[in-house]
Amino acid sequence: MADSHHNPNASHSARSFEVRILRQDGPGQPSYWERHRVEYEPEMNVISVLQRIAAKAITADGKHVAPVAWDCNCLEEVCGACTMVINGQVRQSCSALVDRLLEDRPGEIELAPMAKFPVVRDLVVDRARLFRALTKVKAWVPVDGYYDVGPGPRVSPATQEQSYPLSECMSCGCCLDACPQYLKVEVERLEGESAADFEARANNEFDRSFVGAHAISQAMLFNSHPTGATSAGPRLDALMAEGGIQVCGNAQNCVAVCPKNIPLTTSIGRAGRATTIHQLKKWFGA
Amino acid sequence: MATKRVLIVGGGLAGLAATMKLAELGIDVDLMSLVPVKRSHSVCAQGGINSVNDLTRQQGDDEWLHFDDTVYGGDFLQHQPPVKEMAYWGPKIIDLMDRLGVTFNRTPEGMLDRRRFGGTLFKRTAFAGATTGQQLLYALDEQVRRWEAAGKVKKYEYWDFLGPILDDNGICRGAVAQDLVSMEIRSFPADAVVVGSGGPGLIYGRSTMSMACTGSAASRCFQSGGKYSNGEFIQVHPTAIPGADKLRLMSESARGEGGRVWVPRTPQDPREAVTIPEGERFYFLEDRYPKYKNLVPRDIATREIFDICVNEGLSVEKDRQCVYLDLTHIPRQELDRKLGGILGIYEKFQGVDPRTTPMKIFPAVHYSMGGLWVDYERSSTGGLVVGSPKNHITNVPNLYAIGECDYQYHGANRLGANSLLSCIFSGLIVAPGLENLLKGAKQAAAELPSSLFERSRKQHQSRHDALLKRSGGGENPYLIHQELGDVMTKVATVVRRNDQLQEALGKVSDLYARAKKCSLSDTGTWTNQNVVFTKALLDMFPLALTILKGALQRDECRGAHFKPDFAFGSLTATEPAERRRQAEAWCDRFEANNAKWLKSTVAQWTGDEVEITYEEVDTSLIPPRPRLYGLVGADDIEKVWNQRSAARETAQNGNGSTAPAKLAGAH
Amino acid sequence: MKSAVGDAPASSFLARNEFLIRRLHSLSGLIPVGAYMVIHLLTNASVLQGSVMFQKLVYQIHGLPMLVAIEWLFIFIPILFHAIIGVLIIRGSLPNSGTYKYGSNYRYTLQRATGMIAFVFIMVHVFHMHGWFHFDSWLIAARKIGGAQFWPYNAASTAARALSSLPYQIFYVVGVLSCVFHLANGIWTFGITWGIWVTPQAQRWATTACLVFGLALSAVGLGALGGFAYTVDVETAYERENEMYDERVKIGDILPDEHKRYHPPAAKASETAQAPTYLNFEP
Repeated sequence: MADSHHNPNASHSARSFEVRILRQDGPGQPSYWERHRVEYEPEMNVISVLQRIAAKAITADGKHVAPVAWDCNCLEEVCGACTMVINGQVRQSCSALVDRLLEDRPGEIELAPMAKFPVVRDLVVDRARLFRALTKVKAWVPVDGYYDVGPGPRVSPATQEQSYPLSECMSCGCCLDACPQYLKVEVERLEGESAADFEARANNEFDRSFVGAHAISQAMLFNSHPTGATSAGPRLDALMAEGGIQVCGNAQNCVAVCPKNIPLTTSIGRAGRATTIHQLKKWFGA
Repeated sequence: MATKRVLIVGGGLAGLAATMKLAELGIDVDLMSLVPVKRSHSVCAQGGINSVNDLTRQQGDDEWLHFDDTVYGGDFLQHQPPVKEMAYWGPKIIDLMDRLGVTFNRTPEGMLDRRRFGGTLFKRTAFAGATTGQQLLYALDEQVRRWEAAGKVKKYEYWDFLGPILDDNGICRGAVAQDLVSMEIRSFPADAVVVGSGGPGLIYGRSTMSMACTGSAASRCFQSGGKYSNGEFIQVHPTAIPGADKLRLMSESARGEGGRVWVPRTPQDPREAVTIPEGERFYFLEDRYPKYKNLVPRDIATREIFDICVNEGLSVEKDRQCVYLDLTHIPRQELDRKLGGILGIYEKFQGVDPRTTPMKIFPAVHYSMGGLWVDYERSSTGGLVVGSPKNHITNVPNLYAIGECDYQYHGANRLGANSLLSCIFSGLIVAPGLENLLKGAKQAAAELPSSLFERSRKQHQSRHDALLKRSGGGENPYLIHQELGDVMTKVATVVRRNDQLQEALGKVSDLYARAKKCSLSDTGTWTNQNVVFTKALLDMFPLALTILKGALQRDECRGAHFKPDFAFGSLTATEPAERRRQAEAWCDRFEANNAKWLKSTVAQWTGDEVEITYEEVDTSLIPPRPRLYGLVGADDIEKVWNQRSAARETAQNGNGSTAPAKLAGAH
Repeated sequence: MKSAVGDAPASSFLARNEFLIRRLHSLSGLIPVGAYMVIHLLTNASVLQGSVMFQKLVYQIHGLPMLVAIEWLFIFIPILFHAIIGVLIIRGSLPNSGTYKYGSNYRYTLQRATGMIAFVFIMVHVFHMHGWFHFDSWLIAARKIGGAQFWPYNAASTAARALSSLPYQIFYVVGVLSCVFHLANGIWTFGITWGIWVTPQAQRWATTACLVFGLALSAVGLGALGGFAYTVDVETAYERENEMYDERVKIGDILPDEHKRYHPPAAKASETAQAPTYLNFEP
């Protein structure tokens, strides 16, 4: 069996490879490419590459630099933190294996921050807007409270099988980064502005921009839950407000890049149908 | 009067459950986390969550048995009232999570489906695919988001808890924390601080834990005077996928479906695994345990794999310890049907197809049973007094600990699918206690003199500034972390020897001294991950020393703590009378050992070292009994033990209706 | 994004009604614009059955009462609405099919490209053939720069003449194919937008159906173009059309309307004439 691990190809036997990283020192600062050389080790992923770079903090030209900043946590592709653009494609860096990347593009790996979110520093981006969208569509089950009042509603296995994939969404933002309709919104804090005022202003800005596939899908998840459905109307209203589902351009990149294979475009179709009916009901009072 | 607030540190299952419940009780909450709470380590839990349910009840199960399984699995090292309360809350917690919309797997009729987990005979475990922890966390995250939208909860994500603020009377009045983006350090006045910051896996370098599991929050409480208990009890999972960055769990079902564990007889045989002939392979588990073969209990498998690599030098690779877990003899179709999901994980992260190439696996640090010492208030029925402010309080007034970072529920060893339960339970039970604590407080923390908060803030600010001002050329924090991880993994995981532990204590102390001389490669004041990591690294040492010292002093085998020098042997005699005598001696030794060691380790930090005392364990509900799994002579020991128990009962009250002391199930 | 908290700008009319406007945009693309386009291309393709057949159909259309009102209400205004909103939509997008090379993403980019081409094409095409407005001073000016080249009562011959040059033929091929793609793909996105095809299987089926539709309509469109450019003999057709006109006027089927008839320039022979006046009436 041809196994890249045991038969390293030519680029691997070079024993080191180059990592080009698009760095940025802070919001509003210019970005710049920086080259690092990393010794090849078997079974590396992009996280371990970044760990080596952080430990060394010396560029390929021998310059001492601040370690590259990046976000990560679980390293098992379930937390969504370490999302970045690797060789041009948005994905998690924990599941981006160096051997595979070097097969596709020998000798070099290119890392850049997500394109649709404001850069905090280097590969760290601010995904507050992504979470704000979950608030906008009321992505929760509006239970009465947390006292013990017996079991939840019965759910058929068929419904569970439809809901489970949607509930695997880890809010990583791949669907948004690849979406041609999802444009970057960067809100800068003003001189002397309080944190609360800034947050309120940013949220207002976010609420007017496209909610994105993940939030549409979450709205459909909760609308299909027996208790969640009690807020179905307000959720659909949110999807029909400014920045709602109508902004979707059906490029369907979301479903193609989703690391969890969530049927996002099915959710979008369902939301399209639901909002159509919701609008007619609102007009004709059915 | 200013509004009273609770500060929760950590947004995993425990922290979110507490936040949600407090908000419902009308209490304002500040929720602080290193990562966006939805990315907390709880998402990594796969298997499920245990509770008694209507089905198991009709098979003879009840809450008491769940309680019994939990303390038996934990080798009786946990105080029993909180565990009992947890077991009785179990079904209610599942109902609650069900109502919150967790996508649990369903039976055809639409009921919650259950699976069976280790350490029990009942199908108690509710699950949502292979991502139960993720699903539970999301449900709580959603509820907290709902309260956040309602203005009851304020989140501080990407904030690092630097330590509690204690007033002159040693009462916790809030915390100091740092914004990981702007690096701003500020104090948060709070009428109670609840730490739910998870386990300290990073002390071991690589583990199955997430990168945020540095243990730093718990360590900072420890260094501020909080007690830390049972630190030496670290659960090691037998099969994980070694990675350059992390050790990822490989489910035990791989062995359950026929996976064989082996190493080449030639150390580090350079040939491809599949080309090595049968005769040159060493199926060491099958060889040493002809009865159970590859399905020996978890702790035995862990020890054997560890031993073959570390002590016998038969690791598959030279630079890295691992053995083969081989499924290649099983037809591909069968593998896909039964193990598709977990094989997919291996393939995704290793880039190798485990259907055609044997997997490389090694045990990995997985969970910390120990943690911050916390109190509880025992009810008349042997459970907890719900609403008591004593529940989950540390020895520092107004400072609480919940979830994996407290020590309360799992004793010496955790049962599978019990951690999700204990995390949610501890979050829910702490809330009504805090409600009463806040009701009883005369003054809100926010009204205390600002000098108190400013003083603490300044201390942390100057520590931070001093780190940034360090001159270059010092130690590299990342390399020190690697060394610390190597030492800890070598001596304080599966097999523990006093000489090694003693030596490691010296090494780790040296490393600590070197770590204090770290210099930073980033001295910036914006999203400086370098300085944050260095601080977390420094705070790993007090806990690392606690683990080592606790392990060194505890001269026995209990749960996850295994010292071969103190292991009880099997019965060797064949002649019945002699065998009986050996069994009696075995039981005598067991009782003597319990008298000496059935105690919680309680560590305190003196400023530069660890001081350990021991505390009696409340075993009043279920008397301790031996675990005899796989031991030669188990039947004879059991016989002796049961006779003794019966005699004790008769002597005590003449009727046998009290707690079952018999060996109900020697798993 | 630099606004202060106090004066967060109130949402504009477009923003507040974004959902309805986008839905109307989606609908208008299909009905009436798309539907009209299908009829238009089918009518044009009738030229393949001869200039008489085509002329008959044109008479039918021009027999409609209040034709100008119908044109503006059901054709021009919907097209302009669809086009202007379309431009706004395109301004809010960032096509990335160079990076994410998926079929649906290529179609997304093409939908926007063909939309822009179609916009330009239709503007020019309506001017080129129809002239947009039918008052004399405008028509005189328009015809001076090559507009309003279609005379309904000399339908095939004037259309054929207008399409006789190769640059125009290329322009029309590109324009028509863009319109066809835009409509066919637009039907596919319409189905998702309105929740008609939801599941991946349904969407795959719809993709095939839209592909077949698009290919068929392309054939019709190209057939029409080819028909005008290469099958119509302008002189013969012109004569036949005039005969038809006379007959219809005679039996009272239509009222005489010289505005809709083409008259060759009076001084056709005179190459030295200052400027051809296309708006010449019979003495």
